[in-house]
Amino acid sequence: MSLKIRLVVNGRRHTTKIDPATSLLDFLRDTLGYKGVKICCNTGECGACTILLNGKPVNSCVVLAADAAGAQIVTVEGLAEGDKLHPVQQAFIDTGAVQCGYCTPGFIMSVKALLDRSKNPTPEEIEEAVSGNICRCTGYAKIVEAIEIAAQRMAERS
Amino acid sequence: MEYFEPKTISEAVSLLAKYGESAKVVAGGTDVIVDIKFKEEPPCLVNIKRIPALSYVREDKGFLRIGALTSIREIEMSSLVRQKLPLLWEASHQFASLQIRNTATIGGNVCRASPSGEMLAPLLVLEANAVARFPRGEKKLPFGELFLGPGKTSLGSKGLLKEIEIALPPQESGGVYLKHAVRGAMDIAMVGVAVLVTPDAGGKKAKDVRIGLGAVAPTPIRAKSAEKALRGKVMARALVEEAARRAAADAKPITDHRASAEYRRWIVEALTRKGLAQAWKAATGKEVEG
Repeated sequence: MSLKIRLVVNGRRHTTKIDPATSLLDFLRDTLGYKGVKICCNTGECGACTILLNGKPVNSCVVLAADAAGAQIVTVEGLAEGDKLHPVQQAFIDTGAVQCGYCTPGFIMSVKALLDRSKNPTPEEIEEAVSGNICRCTGYAKIVEAIEIAAQRMAERS
Repeated sequence: MEYFEPKTISEAVSLLAKYGESAKVVAGGTDVIVDIKFKEEPPCLVNIKRIPALSYVREDKGFLRIGALTSIREIEMSSLVRQKLPLLWEASHQFASLQIRNTATIGGNVCRASPSGEMLAPLLVLEANAVARFPRGEKKLPFGELFLGPGKTSLGSKGLLKEIEIALPPQESGGVYLKHAVRGAMDIAMVGVAVLVTPDAGGKKAKDVRIGLGAVAPTPIRAKSAEKALRGKVMARALVEEAARRAAADAKPITDHRASAEYRRWIVEALTRKGLAQAWKAATGKEVEG
């Protein structure tokens, strides 16, 4: 059987039929083409598929696409404004917080959610915010540095 | 696969009565979706996420009531839980990752009945009730009788969990939850220990002691002989050490890829000793003396 859902991804409306057993991850990647949402462990443990569902970071691989009906979703593709990258994206580039890059979109979404809820995060809040994201290249020191820089720049801008 | 999104509890319970064992209930989905991908698709999926008004934490005449669809993150962010039930708050705080806490529900964690389910040992020592709807009406199932084995609860295939009801422990009590795992986040507990201690009026004796153990038996369990060793006694160091040894004996752990049974017993002993000391201090402001 199939189910018709409506949702908004990165400000764009979509109305689509889905198989109710589909995960939000597969739906975003394969049906709608948002390939910035990465598939990795596919069991909710690594954070590579992190997106914002109604503003909150979730692992899209363990959310039913059906549960996103009526929701607002933001993926990494929705952060830049035209050619201008989001401050979190720019900070990851400036500090070299990217090695193989596969975990990066998930990290960026967790950090975006952190800085949306806390303007001046403590080191503990930073650690907690990305503790559900795994970087197998283990480049955590630069990731933390990028988060601190992004927080500073966003605070100066506002 | 047949798929339903019931809009009321009655509708959901009728679906469970009709489809029996072939129906799978899904709430947050963090476990069920993994099963669908890597084990098998159930013949019928009943998604209860669209049933309104099942997500809440509220105080009600000496009870705290938590709706089955309340996310672990909502519990973690609840100042009521943090003030009144610090051991449950600690378990919600240590639960998986932020992403999972935003998605997983307390009802799902309970009904999944994993021996290591983070919220279960705290709910056992709080002597919570599971308020559930069955085809013939509502029932209150005490947590002490809820867990039958890994993945099995007395809700069976027909009961739907609606609410967790927790009688607030006496104000003078102290509670803690300690978890042992290798990685801080995301790790499943090798051992989880929940302790609730209520001192007597003199502040020397333990009027009531409850110890819950997670991940060391087919279900979360109470360490009954350890509790008995302390109940009504003066909280002294030697007795706390004896109770911790008894808790290790109460545990029935297995050896698996996370830890050996022997190691788990050591950890139960260590965490029980530490948990009793911390709970006593939270309750009385004093250290356990020798």
